[in-house]
Amino acid sequence: MDRPPEAMLKAIAILDSISLWSGRIVAWLIIPMVLSLVYEVVARYIFDAPTAWAYDMTFMLYGTFFMVGSAYTLYKKGHIRTDSYYGAWSPRTQGWVDTICYLVFFFPPLIAFLVVGWDYFARSYAQGERIVTSPWMPIVYPFKLAIPLATLLLLLQGLSELMKSLWAARKGEWL
Amino acid sequence: MALKPEYLGLLSLVILFGAIFIGFPIAFTLIAVALGVGYFALGDIALHLMTLQFFSVMRDPTLASVPFFLFMGYLLEQSGLMERLFRGVQLMLASLNGSLYLAVLITATIFAAATGIVGSSVTLLGVMAAPAMKRSGYDVRMSAGTIAAGGTLGILIPPSVMLIVMGPVVGVPATDLFAAAIFPGLLLSGLYILYTLVRSYLNPKLGPPLPMEDRRPFAYVVKEVVLGMLPVVVVILATLGVILAGIATPTDAGAVGAFAVFLLTLVYRKLTWAKMKIAVMSTLEVSCMILLLVAASNYFGAVFSRLGSATLIAETLLTLNFSPTVMLLIMLAIIFVLGWPLEWVPIVLIVVPIFLPLVNKLGIDLVWFCTLVAVCLQTAWLSPPVALSAYFLKGVVPDWDLKDIYAGMMQFMVLQIVGLLLILVFPQIALWLPAYLRE
Repeated sequence: MDRPPEAMLKAIAILDSISLWSGRIVAWLIIPMVLSLVYEVVARYIFDAPTAWAYDMTFMLYGTFFMVGSAYTLYKKGHIRTDSYYGAWSPRTQGWVDTICYLVFFFPPLIAFLVVGWDYFARSYAQGERIVTSPWMPIVYPFKLAIPLATLLLLLQGLSELMKSLWAARKGEWL
Repeated sequence: MALKPEYLGLLSLVILFGAIFIGFPIAFTLIAVALGVGYFALGDIALHLMTLQFFSVMRDPTLASVPFFLFMGYLLEQSGLMERLFRGVQLMLASLNGSLYLAVLITATIFAAATGIVGSSVTLLGVMAAPAMKRSGYDVRMSAGTIAAGGTLGILIPPSVMLIVMGPVVGVPATDLFAAAIFPGLLLSGLYILYTLVRSYLNPKLGPPLPMEDRRPFAYVVKEVVLGMLPVVVVILATLGVILAGIATPTDAGAVGAFAVFLLTLVYRKLTWAKMKIAVMSTLEVSCMILLLVAASNYFGAVFSRLGSATLIAETLLTLNFSPTVMLLIMLAIIFVLGWPLEWVPIVLIVVPIFLPLVNKLGIDLVWFCTLVAVCLQTAWLSPPVALSAYFLKGVVPDWDLKDIYAGMMQFMVLQIVGLLLILVFPQIALWLPAYLRE
C-alpha cells in the first residue's frame, strides 16, 4: 500500500487527537449533570429547599455536552448514515462520494454556522446577557460559546475526514 | 423566480432523501439542505433560524433526559448487574420447559424499562443467554428470535429515547407517550412469552429443562433473587414509577435513576475504572448522534414548515378520499418500509412531521398514532433482510447462522403484527393508562 505524505499523516493525527481529547474532556460533564440534578431533587423533595442554580446548570452542561461532543462522534463515525448503498460500494467510490459530500454538504453550511454562531455569542457577550426567566439569572455567553466552539471542532475533524476520503478516492483504500 | 415555496419544500425533500440514501451522515445533510433551501426562500432569516433552533434544543429540559437514560443503561450493561438478574430468573425457573426463553424475555423487559435504545440490549442478552441456550440444547432459531425480539423492547418500553424525541416533534408531553407505551410493550412481551412457552410445552425439544449442573438448591435461589435481582428491579421500577405518577420530570428521574444505578454498582463492587470510562464515552457518542440530529432536523423543520409543503402534502392526500383508517394504515406501512433502510431517528424527526398535518386533519389521536409508529419502528428492527438486531446478535454469537437468526426473527415479526393489529383495533391498550394517570 502507498503511504501518504508524512505531512498529511501528521495533520490527520493532530486533528483526530483534538477531537478525541475534546470528547474525553466533555464526556465527563455527565457527572456534574447527574450530581447537580440529584442535589436539586434531594433539596427540593426531602428538604423542601429547591436551589436556584441546579436546573440552569444541568441544562447548560447538557447543551454543551452534546454540541461540543459532536466532533468526537464524527471522529468515531457515530453520526448515523444510511449504509444500504454506501456499504456496498468500493472504497474508491465511497471516498469520492464522501469527498463531494463533505465539500457540498459539510463545509459551506458549517462555515456559515461558525460565523453566525460567533455573532450570536459576541452579541450576548457584549450585552452581558442573562437568563431573565431564571431566579439565578446566570450569564448566557459562556453557554452560547458552545455553538461556535462545537462548529469549529466539527470543521477541524471534517478536514481530517476530507483528507481520509480523498486518499480513499485516489488510492482505493481507507487509511 | 416563479417556483412556489411549497414546491421548493418538496424539492428540498427530494434532495434530502437523495443525500440520505447516498449515505452521508444525516445530521449534516439536514443542515445543508435547510440552509440552502432556506436561504433561497427566506433570505437571512434562514441563518438566524439556525442558531435559534440549535439553541432551543440545547436548552430543552426534556431532551436533557436523553444522556441520563443512556448513561443509566450503559452503567447497567457495563457493570454486569443485568447478568446477575438474568441468572436469578434463570435459576428460579430452571425446571420449566423453555425456561431460558422466559428468563431472556423477563430480563429483556426489565432491562427495557431501564434503557432507551436497542443495540446494547440485544448484544447483552446475546452474551448472557446464548451460551446457556446452546449448552441446554435449545432450538437455535427460536433462541435467536427470542433474544432479538426481547432486545428491541428497549426502544418501546419507557424510558424510550425514541418517545422522548417524538414528544416535542408531535407536541405531546413525553410522559403521555411513556404511559401509552407501557401496555403495548407488556402486550408484546406477553405475546413472546406465550408463544415460546406454548411451543416449548408442545415440543419440549425446542426448550428442554435445564441440565442438573445448571440448577441450584432452593435456599441459594432465594438468596440470589433477593440480593441479586430485587435492588436492581426496585431502582428501575421506582425511576419509571415517579415519572408516570407525575411526581418527577423524566429528566429529574433519569438523573436520580442513573445515580442510583451508579450506587448499586459500587455496592456490588462491579464497576471498574475501565468500564466506567466505556459507559461515559458511549453515553457521549450516542447522545451526540441523537441530539445533534434532533437539533439539525429542528432547523430543517423550522424552514420546511415556513414553506408550507407539509400542508400541501396533507391536502393532496386528503383529496384521495380514503377513510381515516386506510390513511392510517398507509402511513404506518410507509413508516415500516422506511424503517428498513433508515434508523428510527430520521424517521421520527423527518417523516413523522411530514405526516403530522394529515394526522391532525383526519382527527387521529396523536398519542395513539405515536404508539403505533413506535411499535412499527420497533418491528422494523426485526424485519430481515436489513434488521440491525440480527447483525448485533451475529456479532456476539458468531456460530449462529445468519439464516437461522432471520428465520427466528420472522416468527416474532408475526407476533409483532398481531400486537400491532390489537393496538389498532383496541386503541384503549395505549390510551387507557395516560387517561387514567391524567385524572
